[in-house]
Amino acid sequence: MPPKLERIKDDSLRRSLTAAQESLRAGHFGDVVHRASDAYAEMLRRDPDLMKGPLGMRRILFYPRLGARLIQEQDGSPAVIYDRETFTFSEAITYFEFAVDSLVREGL
Amino acid sequence: MKFGLFYEHQLPKPYDDEQWDPDQEHQLLKNALDQIELADQLGFDYVFEVEHHFLEEYSHSSAPEIFLAAASQRTKNIRLGHGIVVMPPRYNHPARVAERIATLDLVSDGRVEFGTGESASEMEMGGFGVRREEKKSMWEEATRECVKMMSETPYGGVEGAFVGMPSRNVIPKPLQKPHPPLWVASSRRETTMVAARLGMGSLGFAFETPEELEERVEQYYQLVREECYPMGKAVNPALAVLSVLSCFDSDEEAIDKGLEAAQFFAYSLGYYYNPFTGGSHEPGKMNIYKRFMDTPPEQRWGPLGEGFRGFGGFQGAAIAEEPKDEVTRALWRAAQRGGCIGTPEFIKDTLRKYEASHLDLMIFVAQCGARKHEDVMESIHRTGTKVIPEFKERHEQHQRWRAQQLNGVEYPVNSSI
Repeated sequence: MPPKLERIKDDSLRRSLTAAQESLRAGHFGDVVHRASDAYAEMLRRDPDLMKGPLGMRRILFYPRLGARLIQEQDGSPAVIYDRETFTFSEAITYFEFAVDSLVREGL
Repeated sequence: MKFGLFYEHQLPKPYDDEQWDPDQEHQLLKNALDQIELADQLGFDYVFEVEHHFLEEYSHSSAPEIFLAAASQRTKNIRLGHGIVVMPPRYNHPARVAERIATLDLVSDGRVEFGTGESASEMEMGGFGVRREEKKSMWEEATRECVKMMSETPYGGVEGAFVGMPSRNVIPKPLQKPHPPLWVASSRRETTMVAARLGMGSLGFAFETPEELEERVEQYYQLVREECYPMGKAVNPALAVLSVLSCFDSDEEAIDKGLEAAQFFAYSLGYYYNPFTGGSHEPGKMNIYKRFMDTPPEQRWGPLGEGFRGFGGFQGAAIAEEPKDEVTRALWRAAQRGGCIGTPEFIKDTLRKYEASHLDLMIFVAQCGARKHEDVMESIHRTGTKVIPEFKERHEQHQRWRAQQLNGVEYPVNSSI
């Protein structure tokens, strides 16, 4: 089975998360969190049905809340709020893996 | 594959009372020590003890270091695992953790597994003033410093974001060098990948099915080989998962004596970890068991409702081909959720799937809900005599597979798998 990152079909999302992986290796953890959060929010933006019903609520609620959090704007669109700009290694991994896993699971 | 027991020390209240009987907590802990002594004699490899605070009925295990110290004096071989120590310094200062881990390692002749975690329930975080958005960075910093304290002479000190301490020699040092095997609680999939990248064992508290596990194992070992920046001075590559155990000679008996307690485990877990209700518990007043028993059986897997799969993994795995017969259906459901509720043969069939997925360690929840001590003992005995031996015979094959996976890992390995 190829590494999970390579199973993301969408070119732009895969490129963004590949860059996040490079940032993780380079120790730029804030960049990792931004790229991963942007990719996840983009996934929801492309298919608003993903935010509907109990599973949709879970996709918002269960997004990591470790200094960046996902909210739903009044118009229903997803937005990421950053409570700080510095993140640790484990926090960056958490956001990165969550985003990669979600994109693969949704078939993007 | 190796085997362990997992203790929350669950203690449902009497159905009709706001409080427990006066001797119940005392008896709960004494019974658990009997169970662990039996497990040790039967060849179980590990016992893992949680650390939770204020989670009435769900877990009365707030001082695992004391309990494990007692267990160390009643057992000879079983590994004594913290599953886990809550590491944010507001719960436990890392120097105190280092001292306790080392002392336990000494009195147990080097049998400690150092599981770490951050906690997640509002009841606990609120009680100790830990902010959710900071808990992971607190865990990371405190754990890293704690490991240094155990392995460096003297410890050089730190001025971190959450831990500040001048240079001191933290004593005693653990018997296992450079330190006991390190684990991290992984109730979310991404934490397993954190574990891999930090060279820590993953204590998977998400009740994964064998199918879910297979891919995770592959990813985990790949990251250990290719992307590892160890938390400690040695890595502990290992994946463990939990499963509820009720092992009896007939399926009906296993369900009769085990299923309701497994449901209570899931229900009370969901009660405290539900983001909507988890912080609204009325301390000292609420009777969760009564609430559970008053809930229609089909809703007892948890208060989050259909469609949620988290919080213990008991929820709504696809139920497309559910058997019609009640007993078979209950077993099928248990198996779908990774449960080991049934006869030794049924449980061995389930475990063979985990073994095929290259799981390192299966940890059983044998004591939970209102299960009777005698039933827990019987279930442990039957598992130890009729289930585990087959897998012990094949463990060498697994170790060879692990050696292949770890080929090329440049760090020292300190693992009891």
